[in-house]
Amino acid sequence: MNATIAAQMTGADILKLRKKRGILTWSLVLALGPILIYFVAAVIEHATNPGKYGPAGGAQNFSDGLRVIALFFGPLAALLIGVEAGTGDASAGVFRDLVVTGRSRLALFATRVPAALAVTFLMMIGAYALLLVGTFAFAANLPTPGGSLILNGLGFTLLATGMLCTVAVGFASLTTSKPAAIIALIAWQIVASPLLASIKGLGSTREGLLSQATAHFSPVHVGEGGHGATVTLSSGTAVVVLLAWVVVFLALGAWRTRTMDA
Amino acid sequence: MSPPDNSLPTPNVDATATAIQTTGLTKRFGERAAIDSVDLQVPRASAFGFLGPNGAGKTTMIRMLLGLTHSSAGSMSVLGHPVPSERALALARVGAIVEEPRFHPQLTGRENLRIIAAARGPETHDRIAPALRRVGLSERADEKVKKYSLGMRQRLGVARCLLADPLLLILDEPTNGLDPGGIQEFREMIRDMVEQEGRTIFISSHLLDEVEKICDHAAIVDRGKILMQGAISELAEGGARHELIVSVDDPVRALEVLEISAQVAQAQRSDEGLRVTFSDLADISAAEQAASVNAALVAAGLAVSRLEPVRQSLEKRFLEVTSRLSDSTIEEVTA
Repeated sequence: MNATIAAQMTGADILKLRKKRGILTWSLVLALGPILIYFVAAVIEHATNPGKYGPAGGAQNFSDGLRVIALFFGPLAALLIGVEAGTGDASAGVFRDLVVTGRSRLALFATRVPAALAVTFLMMIGAYALLLVGTFAFAANLPTPGGSLILNGLGFTLLATGMLCTVAVGFASLTTSKPAAIIALIAWQIVASPLLASIKGLGSTREGLLSQATAHFSPVHVGEGGHGATVTLSSGTAVVVLLAWVVVFLALGAWRTRTMDA
Repeated sequence: MSPPDNSLPTPNVDATATAIQTTGLTKRFGERAAIDSVDLQVPRASAFGFLGPNGAGKTTMIRMLLGLTHSSAGSMSVLGHPVPSERALALARVGAIVEEPRFHPQLTGRENLRIIAAARGPETHDRIAPALRRVGLSERADEKVKKYSLGMRQRLGVARCLLADPLLLILDEPTNGLDPGGIQEFREMIRDMVEQEGRTIFISSHLLDEVEKICDHAAIVDRGKILMQGAISELAEGGARHELIVSVDDPVRALEVLEISAQVAQAQRSDEGLRVTFSDLADISAAEQAASVNAALVAAGLAVSRLEPVRQSLEKRFLEVTSRLSDSTIEEVTA
């Protein structure tokens, strides 16, 4: 498969995702909604009680907002898109028609990943832009984040959401069931992963958690509890963990796509 | 310098090869054989009916041919290429509808074709508009597929097949959901593809009448086994004795003449005239037997106004062979 075919197939996968209104709407709500709500609430608080609540923008609110989109709601949006990319053909019953074209099943699987990432990244860039608008528009006299932090924040947002999106494509392709994949991944992301990260008795085993390895690259402080990093690990370990998650789930998804009855 | 790899492999088409050939092809689900040692030959440039009752193994056979599921034993080739080892080459010029045609409902008909065209290769995009025209969907091509009737989805399925500029079309129960007008149009399209364009059409169906009207050749399958295969006319007659409807000015006298003829096994009056069943003489054709009867009647001074061979129906033959299988199975079980 050459670059032209790969680009066309990726474009076709993007088209499928773009026209899946339900998933797209929910992903947009998850990506943009929390930031919107965050700023609206902060603006109202500041307006009603400026003595107690500071302006809604500025560097601190940028950090809080970044955690919201990169570590919590953004990954959920990415997860929905990844699952749709991984199961869309099978659930529509179209996978066999794609196989009948003679195109290799691995190629059919492989083009799902860049398509899902493209849609996810576009959405997250939108969410990040909204965060920046709020950060600067409502900063008043507060300091604002510098260019380096803004770029690092964008990179971190794309890394965090891209990782989960990729894992979701692989996992969904493995299960071939959209509801099962969504439930399992959401349960992992918002319940199991934070729970495991908080169990200190697990020690260095927790370094293997995707959320911990991702949080290592956060340009803003990610404290104890919540969905932040609770494990200290080296950059090398974090990279290995991230790669391992991607490789394992992509391999599982590719294996299933290659071997299943269409 | 070799050309750029911008599409699926171009098949090296061997025009003399059968379109589909299987040898000892078997598919087992546990102990049960859905396809049991099937030897099948589908000739080129013909419409071939794969005929069998529901659950006979028709769809399983198609799924194996298309590489959608693995065979348990045996070998198969499509357009001269072994499957699955040269699956990409084999399928490059194959279009197929397996079971009911499925699409992404949130996309339009045209967008659904774009999805398949992207997988097939850049040159395929130019075939989208002609394919939609061919199946009469040009005006509805930009509506979402979820608004399509079953008949429209069937036609879109055929359009999707045409994107491959197929030498072989494999269609699984293709007239399901079509109205009578649509069925007629479909038949004409299939016959055009075979007669005008030299394509091979493999149609699986449980509708005997449909296969008889569309196809030149057929195989009758039941419980995973091919019971018989060949030209439709041979299958329909297949060992049955020739019959003739005869109208004469004096039926009573004609019966007397026919009863003493060595070639006539039975002659009796029917609503249409005299129904003559010939003796089972393998070396004498139906035409020769009819000419012989005519000569005997004329020699007896009778005026013959009608002499029409009775066309054996595939339906009758199908019921005979499938019930024969049931009987033998019962005998085996009893034994």
